[in-house]
Amino acid sequence: MRFELSEDQALLRSSTRDFCQRELPIDKTRVVMEQSKDGYEPGMWRSFADMGYLGLLLPESVGGQVLGAIELAVVMEEMGRVCVPGPYLDAVLAASVLATAGGHEQLLAEIVSGRKLVVLARDDSPYRGNRAEPTRFSDGRVRGTKYFVPFGARADALLVVTSDGLVLVDAPGNMTALETMDQGQRFVAVALDHPATFVGPLSLLERIDQIGAVGAAAMLLGVMDRTLEITLDYVRTREAFGRPIGAFQVLQHRMADMLLRAESSRSAVYRGAWCCDTRVVETALACASAKAYAGDAARYVCGQAIQLHGGIGFTWELDLHFFFKRAKTLEQRYGATEAQLENALAAAGY
Amino acid sequence: MDLQLSPQHLAFREEVRGWLAANADRPWREVLRGSTATEDSLIEARRVWQRKLHGAGYLGMDWPAEWGGRGGGPVEQAILETELIEADAPPILNTLGIGLLGPALIHHGSEEQRRRFIPPMLAAEEIWCQGFSEPGSGSDLASLKASAVLDGDDFILNGQKVWTTFGPWADWIFVLARTDGKDRYGGISFILCKLDTPGITVRPLRQITGESEFGEVFFEDARVPRTNLVGEIGEGWRIAMTVLAYERGAISFTQAVQYGRDLGRLATACKEIGRTGSAVREKLGRLLVENEVMRANGIRTLANFADGKAPGAESSIEKVYWSEFDQRFRETALDLLGPGGQLVRTSPEARDDCDWARQFLWSRAETIFSGSSEVQRNIIAKRVLKLPQDPR
Ligand SMILES: Cc1cc2nc3c(=O)[nH]c(=O)nc-3n(C[C@H](O)[C@H](O)[C@H](O)COP(=O)(O)OP(=O)(O)OC[C@H]3O[C@@H](n4cnc5c(N)ncnc54)[C@H](O)[C@@H]3O)c2cc1C
Repeated sequence: MRFELSEDQALLRSSTRDFCQRELPIDKTRVVMEQSKDGYEPGMWRSFADMGYLGLLLPESVGGQVLGAIELAVVMEEMGRVCVPGPYLDAVLAASVLATAGGHEQLLAEIVSGRKLVVLARDDSPYRGNRAEPTRFSDGRVRGTKYFVPFGARADALLVVTSDGLVLVDAPGNMTALETMDQGQRFVAVALDHPATFVGPLSLLERIDQIGAVGAAAMLLGVMDRTLEITLDYVRTREAFGRPIGAFQVLQHRMADMLLRAESSRSAVYRGAWCCDTRVVETALACASAKAYAGDAARYVCGQAIQLHGGIGFTWELDLHFFFKRAKTLEQRYGATEAQLENALAAAGY
Repeated sequence: MDLQLSPQHLAFREEVRGWLAANADRPWREVLRGSTATEDSLIEARRVWQRKLHGAGYLGMDWPAEWGGRGGGPVEQAILETELIEADAPPILNTLGIGLLGPALIHHGSEEQRRRFIPPMLAAEEIWCQGFSEPGSGSDLASLKASAVLDGDDFILNGQKVWTTFGPWADWIFVLARTDGKDRYGGISFILCKLDTPGITVRPLRQITGESEFGEVFFEDARVPRTNLVGEIGEGWRIAMTVLAYERGAISFTQAVQYGRDLGRLATACKEIGRTGSAVREKLGRLLVENEVMRANGIRTLANFADGKAPGAESSIEKVYWSEFDQRFRETALDLLGPGGQLVRTSPEARDDCDWARQFLWSRAETIFSGSSEVQRNIIAKRVLKLPQDPR
């Protein structure tokens, strides 16, 4: 038994950390998140392709790296530490579905090289009294409305989840931007009545959802880790009542709890990733648990980080709010907590 | 990463399962509910079971073979404990002897002491209790006052120990006593005392569960031979710290198995009594997830052990996690079971799947003993987070 990463995985971690610090420091990406129409720069996507991130899970035949969920977790964790914007996990998951379905070699090669973006369009839950009908596929057309499609405005094609299976549709022009609080995660709503091609049954999503849950939980872990570091630095130097505030026991215990949640998330994320790669029976339970736990944990850690900074913690100028917002977005995506609790209960047979 | 048990470990697990299938007695929860069960009869049942395990070579798993151990490691130990939980076997009797004093003697004792004390400890012929805490010294253990003064070839002990688990049943006690009043840490020594020594009195104390599992021990000019000193004079604090490190171990791994087993029973019970609404399911779901994360923590620690990495101050994170989780779990169990969950185990009406009422009460002790939750958070803040310490 061994919990540590393998040599190659550790190398991937250090190269990704270097890459993120060099190319995507948060003082640079925050400007992009604030100012760009799309939330991220095309240049970032090209460098992801160069680093091999876009084909991480894909076969060699399409230029992929043939790696697994542990490597994905490593990359996601590092990206979480700098709060990387953009549809990285969405692209990885959509590509995996296409690869598992078989065929699509040409499209996959274009995804791996960063020339095309395909994302999953799955959410048809209404949020404002506009009751959506389930999306259907028949006679070669997909019909319905999808909400909160990640980075739909930049996508070349959507992999749409319908009651009749998964279908691929060229990205239509009529999208409505849904601007949310996390500027690094952009969404659209899209009304579909378009020609589409069938990709495969919904069962293709089962494994992808587990990998997605672990990937998102890993980014949450990176978010927590970095937020805790920032907070520790702050409480060591900020003084009140003649001493560093980090000397106050009540804050020490708060930070002990933050660490407990971050480290427990780490155990759960990497166990979940290992389970995905090893395909053991406890995979479903381990992945659901990692995501449900990390979602709650990150909300706590990021919220307390703001609290421990006092007034400055509430400013736009400080980076904390990017992490806080990302934590909330991720908590609700890739299987929100409520859905993961149901997944866990089902996996345990309760 | 490799979180799978090795083929040798899997083989060991098969061996244990085979042995348990042939040798396990009635499930312990049935024994506890038996109409003739008394605290004394349960102690005897635990003694008998310990001897059986010892006979099969399953005690002191990670001790060197010359001391009756198997020369195995913490992974074998965890596998064994897990299987014992799954089989609902009785707990052994000499937990404090084998769990704490054994390792102390192996690391710090003399050859003579090991030869003298280890065999009867394993055979449950001499039951041990741990005399660290005092009425005035618990969390701040180094402030302890019980004294040991050298007089010829004997120490003369005075003072009081308290919350001494198994005190009322034990034959021996290992105590921390002050041999130097001025040196806070270096003035503490580790001494073994026979409880029937003149001048030593044990009184049981009743716990909130109604049981008298712990007691208080008084020393009034009790004479103990100097040969019962473990290590050197003044080495007691260092020895105690080794001992306490053992107390923490790979515990989340086994706790997750026990809580997981009970949680499964709670889920079944909820179905049985028709509590299947979404509020109930959310509670069960949260407990399930938290237990699974605890299991992941346990697997991580165990894998680190197997990889030759000793646990550091992170074991404080595990202690806080499992003890506070168990409190949430047992509280929720009583919420979900309603007043029926409060039935004491001897009530004929009580559920027979788990002693919910006692576990609910017992969980309150878990955040106090082996370093309270507050003390553990202090340790995390100081040793892991390296936060500045408050000027006193
Ligand atoms: C069931 C049970 C079995 C036990 N068995 C044994 C045994 O076999 N042998 C033995 O020697 N002892 C045993 N103990 C004693 C146990 O180790 C002590 O109770 C424990 O160390 C706490 O000490 P105390 O009771 O003196 O509480 P105190 O130390 O007085 O603590 C009171 C409260 O103050 C808090 N506190 C104390 N210091 C700090 C601080 N610096 N910062 C923040 N909060 C603080 C504590 O967390 C606690 O909440 C047992 C206890 C229990 C409950």
